Parts: sequence; C-alpha cells; structure tokens
Amino acid sequence: MIELVNVKKVFNAGNPSEFSALNSVNLRIAENQVTVLKGPSGSGKTTLLSIVGCMSRPSAGRVKLQGREITSLPERFLTDIRRKTFGFIFQQPNLIKGISVLDNVMLPAYPLGEKRSHLKIKAMNGLSELNIANKAASKVEWLSGGEAQRASIVRALINDPHIIIADEPTAHLDTKLSYRFMEIIEKFKAEGKTVIITSHDPLVYESSMVDRVVNLRDGQIEG
Amino acid sequence: MRNWIEKQRYIIDFTISSLLRRKVKNFGLLALYTLIVFILASTMFFTYAIKKEASLILKGAPEIVVQKIVAGRHDLFPASYIETIKSIRGVASVESRLWGYYYDSLVSANYTLLTPPSSDAAKPSAKTTVVESESGGQSARPLYELNGAVLEPGTLIIGNGVARLRNIGKDDYMPFRAFDGKVMNFRIAGVLSSQSELVSSDLMLITGEDFRKLFGIDQSHVTDLTVAVNNPSEVEMVASKIKKHLPDARPIIRDEILRTYDSIFNWRGGMMIVIFSAAVLAFVIFAWDKASGLSAGERREIGILKAVGWETSDVIQMKFWEGAVVSLTAFFSGVILAYVHVFFTGSIVFEPALKGWSSLYPNFELTPFVNLEQLTTLFFLTVVPYTVATIVPIWRAATIDPDSAMRFTGE
Repeated sequence: MIELVNVKKVFNAGNPSEFSALNSVNLRIAENQVTVLKGPSGSGKTTLLSIVGCMSRPSAGRVKLQGREITSLPERFLTDIRRKTFGFIFQQPNLIKGISVLDNVMLPAYPLGEKRSHLKIKAMNGLSELNIANKAASKVEWLSGGEAQRASIVRALINDPHIIIADEPTAHLDTKLSYRFMEIIEKFKAEGKTVIITSHDPLVYESSMVDRVVNLRDGQIEG
Repeated sequence: MRNWIEKQRYIIDFTISSLLRRKVKNFGLLALYTLIVFILASTMFFTYAIKKEASLILKGAPEIVVQKIVAGRHDLFPASYIETIKSIRGVASVESRLWGYYYDSLVSANYTLLTPPSSDAAKPSAKTTVVESESGGQSARPLYELNGAVLEPGTLIIGNGVARLRNIGKDDYMPFRAFDGKVMNFRIAGVLSSQSELVSSDLMLITGEDFRKLFGIDQSHVTDLTVAVNNPSEVEMVASKIKKHLPDARPIIRDEILRTYDSIFNWRGGMMIVIFSAAVLAFVIFAWDKASGLSAGERREIGILKAVGWETSDVIQMKFWEGAVVSLTAFFSGVILAYVHVFFTGSIVFEPALKGWSSLYPNFELTPFVNLEQLTTLFFLTVVPYTVATIVPIWRAATIDPDSAMRFTGE
C-alpha cells in the first residue's frame, strides 16, 4: 500500500516564479487495484505520480511504501526502490534511439547485473507477449507509435515490478491502440499488480477495470 | 561479484553503443585527437632518438679536440704544438687532423673534407674499416665506415648524401677548385656505409697530401688535434693544462659537443611544439566543449536512464568510459602512428624542420629509442585532461531529476 500524508510540492521555491503543484495531498492507494489520477492539465497529476514513483521528493509531507517511510531516504536507496518496485510507462515511449528494441527493453536491468542470457530470454518473452518479438532487433526509430508504446511497456516490466505507473499512456494512441493498452492493464491486474494511471481520457477512467478514480484540481484532491 | 562484473560489462557495452550512435561527432573528435598526439609523439620520438643516436656516435669521438684560436677565430694549428701537448701528464696520445669545409656552388652545398688517420686508410684488405677512437666504449657507433675502399692520392671516398646530391658513384670523377684557382680532379674510390649517415652524409675522405694541395696548407700546420686521455676523470684537468701551456689553444671536450647536439635537437623539437601549440590549444578548447557539454539529446537520454533505474554513479561511470575510450584510443593510435612515422618512414612529414635546413639531408633510419618518461608525460597531458573533462557532466547529470523524462513531450 502507498500512503501520502500532507504532501506538498513547490517548484522554484523562493523565486518570483514560485509555483505550488501539490497542496496538502493525503492519499492511500490500495494494492492489487487500478487507480486513476484524473484531472485537467496542470492539476498536479504527473507531479503526484513522480512522487509516488520515487522519482522526485515532496517539498513537505511524507510518503510511505508498504508502511515504510521513504521520503528521507538517500538517492541511491530511492533508485533501488524505484528499480525493483516500480515499472514506468511514460506519455511518450521515451525509448533511446539508435539501439535495438531488445537493448531498450533490457536497459532497466543493466544496473542489477543479471546474466545476459537470462535477461534476454526474459525480454524476448515480454516482447512475445505483446506481439512485437519480431521487432526485437529493429531500431526503435523504425517502430510505429503503438509498437513503441508496447516496447516501453515491456521495458517497464523487465524487472518484474509490483507497481506499474503510467503517465497519460493513451495520450498519443488512437482508440484501437488505447483499448489494446487497457487490455494489457487488465492483464496486469489479473496478475496481482498495482496499477496507477494518470489520465483525462474517458476511455481510461471510465473503464470497468478501474477500481478507483482520484480527481485532482489545482494541486488538491477533490471530493 | 559476478553481478558486479556483469553490470560493468553492460555499462561498457552501452557506452560503446552510445559512442557509435554519435559516429560523426566521435570519429571527428577521435581523428583530431589522434592527430595531435601523433604530432607531439612524433616530435618527441624524433628528437629523443636522434639525440640518443648522436650521443652514441659521439661516444666514439676523441675526448679532447684542440684548435688554435686567433682573435676568437679558428686558425690553422701549428704542428710544433703537438710535442708540448704530448708532454702533459695524463695524455695517452695526440693525433693531428686535417679537415675543412668546401662549398660547392653547383649544388649549393657544403661538404666536409677529412683526412682519415693514416692507419685506417692504409688497410687495403679491410672489407669494412670501422674508424673509432681508442676511448670508444662498446656501445659507441663508428664515425664512418669504409666499405673496402682504398684511399689513394687523387681519390676521394664520399658520404651517401654527396653521392645522392651529385648523382655520382665509384670511379666517377669530381672536380674541385683549389685555393690557387687551379682545378683538381678526384676519382671517387668508394662511398661510405649508409649506417653512419647521420654524421657522414656530407663527408669526403681525402689523403693528407691532396688536402694540403686543395686548401693550401703547408706541412707545418694541421687543422686541429685530437687528444686521448688515460683516465677519463682527468679529461677536464688535461684540457685546462693545455690551455695553460698554450694560451692560444682551445680544447673542446667531448661532453661539450654532446651538450651542443642536445641543445640543437631540443631547440628544434621545442620549436615544432611551439608551432603546433596553437593547434593543441584549439583542440583543448574543442575537446573541453565536446567532453563537458551535454547536448539536449544526451540530457534526455540521462533522464530516461535515471527514470528507468540507473543510478547517478552508473551514468557517471558511463561518461567516464566514454572519455576513456576516446582518449585512450586516440593516445595509442597517435603514439603507434608516430612510431611508424619516425622509425619506419624517416619522419617524412617533419623531416625538413627536424633534421635541419640544408641541401644535404642525411638519409638515415633512426634506431627506435623511446623515453618512457616522455610518453608518460604525454599521457598525462592528453588522456587525463580529456577524461577529467568528461567527468564534469557528472555534476550536471546528477542535477537531472529522473522525473524530467516524464515531462518530455516530444521525441
């Protein structure tokens, strides 16, 4: 379970351009559920997601993961948690150009030093599950939008994370691919993973598989 | 431990693929870097090897050469002085020499004419006569070698440089204008061995009698004297005694000649480095900019890597390997190319500047002598600054929040 207590995030603190992205957010995200953070642009969805995913620290407040306070941990511990606990699916596929799909997918596992042959099998299985195994050796710039999105999903799963975090995953997908994405999410849920998605796409937050929708506006939770 | 090794392998693999992804930039940098190392290493190899070569040859030179000075100018040496010098305690032997420069206006070159010690020229059966002074150590090189040629009155034995310049060889004739305007024709009896070409390129061996006829020197004079000393530690003492007994004599000890050679080649090498220092500086600025600056693409890549779970230290390591791969490759390629250039192609690129400005270039192959201290200095002046410069982005990379990857809206 993830718990946020009185979380605040201020950008450019002390400057004339100071901007408060999150204001006293209190939130509990249950395990093995699909939670959607919904809200208009600038409501603080991505900021909240990055704090939950240990990518950035709150300016104030505490974040607990499975009851363990993680806010004050040094960067390398946070990185370790991020690597082992979370799988990230970004709005853009964020794949590294110039290297193959397979290499991109294996990237998050490099710092763990897993044996290459095992890692390759794991990556190929992931690509097969999302029907892009035939693109393994292709360079990422040759992929279509949907294929790139699927490659980034396989990359998010390579370290077998318990929690999947997806930031506006359908923003650049057409309706058909968006449905396909939601099917993948359903599969994650069936496997017992926790999924947190930010979206203002009705196709996502109105989906039957979503357990909870959290509304955000002006850096605060509504309702 | 295995995981750690595997992790390093992944990081190095990724570094190499990352270098190859920016082929144009990195190969351009590598080429320029290699060129700079090549220039510096060539200059270093050449000057060091030639100094070493010269010092080996000069080891066989006489310990003391005594000249006569008149009002600060070199003058003919009275043969009567020989007995005075012989009487100085510590002197093993004294030998007179006849030598001089002859300017050949036809090819605008200066030749050095020398009368070999009579014992060397009069060995008709010798296949190769090595002329060395008695004090020459085992590692000393001969001053010149006579390839079985016999020097007789009316003949010359010439150096390789002269043979090349005048396009002449054995049994050809070479005319000279003597001191009184008369033309003297000499037959070429042979050509000196090419092994000693560094010092014998412009050399001509001539009999004493012919030399005196050509330069108009009477029997009571010689050009200078060579003095051998029994105890090497007494050389300076003997030199000062000569000066005391013969105030108009100028004793030159071998170490002084060695020092002169050293400074000549140091000066030439230094001048080359000064000329190229502008290029080196330009490269330093270029390399610093390339190594320490992060492009938008690189920043984005670091953001992605950190977002997917790479630690700052992994990114630093990757950047370090990038710098190390480029600079080590450039260093070794530059040094190897310089080695080939200096020791196998005779420094074709820098030949005129390093060997001297003359019509008579010696054509010789240097024996490879490499000074490790100089190589280490070059390493620390090239590889280390570049690698350190690549570490600078560490601090920049460290400031990139992993969540920046989430905020990229364009590819």
